[in-house]
Amino acid sequence: MSDAAAQVGLPPVTPEEDHKVGKGKGRAFLGIPVVGWMLIFFGIPYFLLFLQSLWEPTAFGVSHNWNLQNYKLVFFGDSLSGNIYLPTLLRSLKVGAMVTVFSTLLAFPIAYLLAFKIANSRTRLMLYVLVIVPLWASYLLRAYAWKVILGQNGLLGSVLDKVGLENTFLNNLLYSQAAVVITMTHIFTPFMILTIYAVLERLPPSLIEASKDLGVGRVKTFLTLVVPLSLPGVIAGATFTMGLSSGDFVAPQLVGGKNDVMIANQVYSQFGATNNWPLGSAIAFVLLGFVAILVAISTQAEKREQL
Amino acid sequence: MINPESGLAGAPTAGAPEGHSAAVELENVTKRYGEVTAVEDLDLRVEDGQFLTLLGPSGCGKTTTLRLIGGFEAPNRGIIRIGGDDMSSRPAYKRPVNTVFQQYALFPHLSVSQNVGYGLKHAGVSRSETAERVGEMMSLMQIPDVGDRRPRELSGGQQQRVALARALVMEPKVLLLDEPLGALDYKLRKEMQFELKRIHREVGVTFIYVTHDQEEAMTMSDRIVVMSHGHIEQDASPAEIFDRPLTAFVADFIGDTNIVHGTVTRIEGGHATVDLGPLGEIGGSTDDQLASGDRVRVSIRPTDVHVEPGGAGEAVVQDSVLVGGHIAMKIASGDETVVAHVARGSSYEPGANVHLRVDSDRIRVFAAAEGA
Repeated sequence: MSDAAAQVGLPPVTPEEDHKVGKGKGRAFLGIPVVGWMLIFFGIPYFLLFLQSLWEPTAFGVSHNWNLQNYKLVFFGDSLSGNIYLPTLLRSLKVGAMVTVFSTLLAFPIAYLLAFKIANSRTRLMLYVLVIVPLWASYLLRAYAWKVILGQNGLLGSVLDKVGLENTFLNNLLYSQAAVVITMTHIFTPFMILTIYAVLERLPPSLIEASKDLGVGRVKTFLTLVVPLSLPGVIAGATFTMGLSSGDFVAPQLVGGKNDVMIANQVYSQFGATNNWPLGSAIAFVLLGFVAILVAISTQAEKREQL
Repeated sequence: MINPESGLAGAPTAGAPEGHSAAVELENVTKRYGEVTAVEDLDLRVEDGQFLTLLGPSGCGKTTTLRLIGGFEAPNRGIIRIGGDDMSSRPAYKRPVNTVFQQYALFPHLSVSQNVGYGLKHAGVSRSETAERVGEMMSLMQIPDVGDRRPRELSGGQQQRVALARALVMEPKVLLLDEPLGALDYKLRKEMQFELKRIHREVGVTFIYVTHDQEEAMTMSDRIVVMSHGHIEQDASPAEIFDRPLTAFVADFIGDTNIVHGTVTRIEGGHATVDLGPLGEIGGSTDDQLASGDRVRVSIRPTDVHVEPGGAGEAVVQDSVLVGGHIAMKIASGDETVVAHVARGSSYEPGANVHLRVDSDRIRVFAAAEGA
């Protein structure tokens, strides 16, 4: 951390000095493994996918007939099936946003507790492990677990029935957007906790003490100091969660209803069922575009926070 | 051969006049962390406007004492008063004290002016008054032009000044400073010592300063409280601490000293004559209850040891090194090794036979530790 150097009174490292080490001319070959890896596993596949999206589907494959027909279909639909892709994409982004907000709200108090309120290091380690343990279980398993909990005669429903609350909306949450959001919130909250905790943990306790020393109470200190200083972690976690959850296809498939199909399900069915790879590629590229915009925004935001 | 003058007359104690409430008062304060007692039964009274230094090695309880006054720790026992008011039930943010933290603890996401104005803003002081007081304070600290920058863009010395400004702008009754110069390099530290003295003079606030650096304590303080293992070893003015240390620990901790062992031959009031064996007889002042024949430790400052040419078998120079303005010589005499500081040009080569003469009224005699 460069501000740590500043805090102990070391002269700040200027960018020029920082790069002196790598100035030798023959050093470029050291980058080959990284560039090669990126090229083979990301660059070329994405390029091929992009080419696909500009072709036309035929009964048994594709014709290399270059056009933007697939993108037109994604954004405007056609007379046959109407406009289905763009609304699905927007719905996916909405679900992603909801998951991001809920997992942030759930994760922050836990990360805060972990970083500041638990003095005993063994207790802290145990809590930390409890946060991580769900990540060891398969995503599918966790999604199925929610099926068991949220189903008509599931755990939640039966308990509610027992206490006399029958036929509320909670008794039959399965196969709804709520179920999708709940499931994905559960999946992504640990990531959120880890990124926020990583930032809070490095926050010097003396900053909080300094705030109190200057006459500012607990709540105000939290709002004016802890929250702004934790924003880089929140932004990183939110970007991650938003990107992954709006592109998810497992949760909507397992716990969503037939109107809760998300954009990744569309991609999946174009490749897997309809055998329309060009359209699937076009949808994937539009989604990629949205995620790229999201990452660009969050990178900007993070930069501003770090100034 | 050794010809000391008699001990110092009783110097005035740093104790305070009674009758008015002190800036800070600690009464029987004890703080434990689990099994470890950080501060034990501490009594301390700090007068208004004093520059008091808590001095001691790490783990002596000085920082804990400061944190108890600041309200960052609660004592297990005892009473802490600030300006006469009991602080027991007052959290840190309600105490009329402000702290300069060890690593400054400046808020990285705020500009320098926002840092300095942080406390005022949240206390509901108007925007214009805040701006005015922040500006004044930053001029006093001689950093009037860095207000728009972020703390990390400043040098260590400037950050230090921002931390001071941020605390002093709150007009505290007492300013607590927790090793504030520890992160600075030697030259800047020297400069800041004078700066802190100047600032103390100008604002007139009570300063309680924690350090393990005896030189820092000597330079700045009106009064030094030497601590060890959670209790006070000595509480006096810098001069008295140096000239008349109460315990061997203080003598050893403050300045360089030689501690040599001997046996009391004569005792008269606060003055003891001690037989040091091959080093001869020496007289020094003492505050301990001693009797003839007691084993004692004698503290002799290296600057008080004079080295003269001598015969074989008396004392032999072992080493001689240049330390800036003077030469430090290590001289063996019998079982004891003595360090002498002499002017350049009057030193002897290793192996030379010398005669040691101690001429000082600063010789101190302490009862030998148990089992010594």
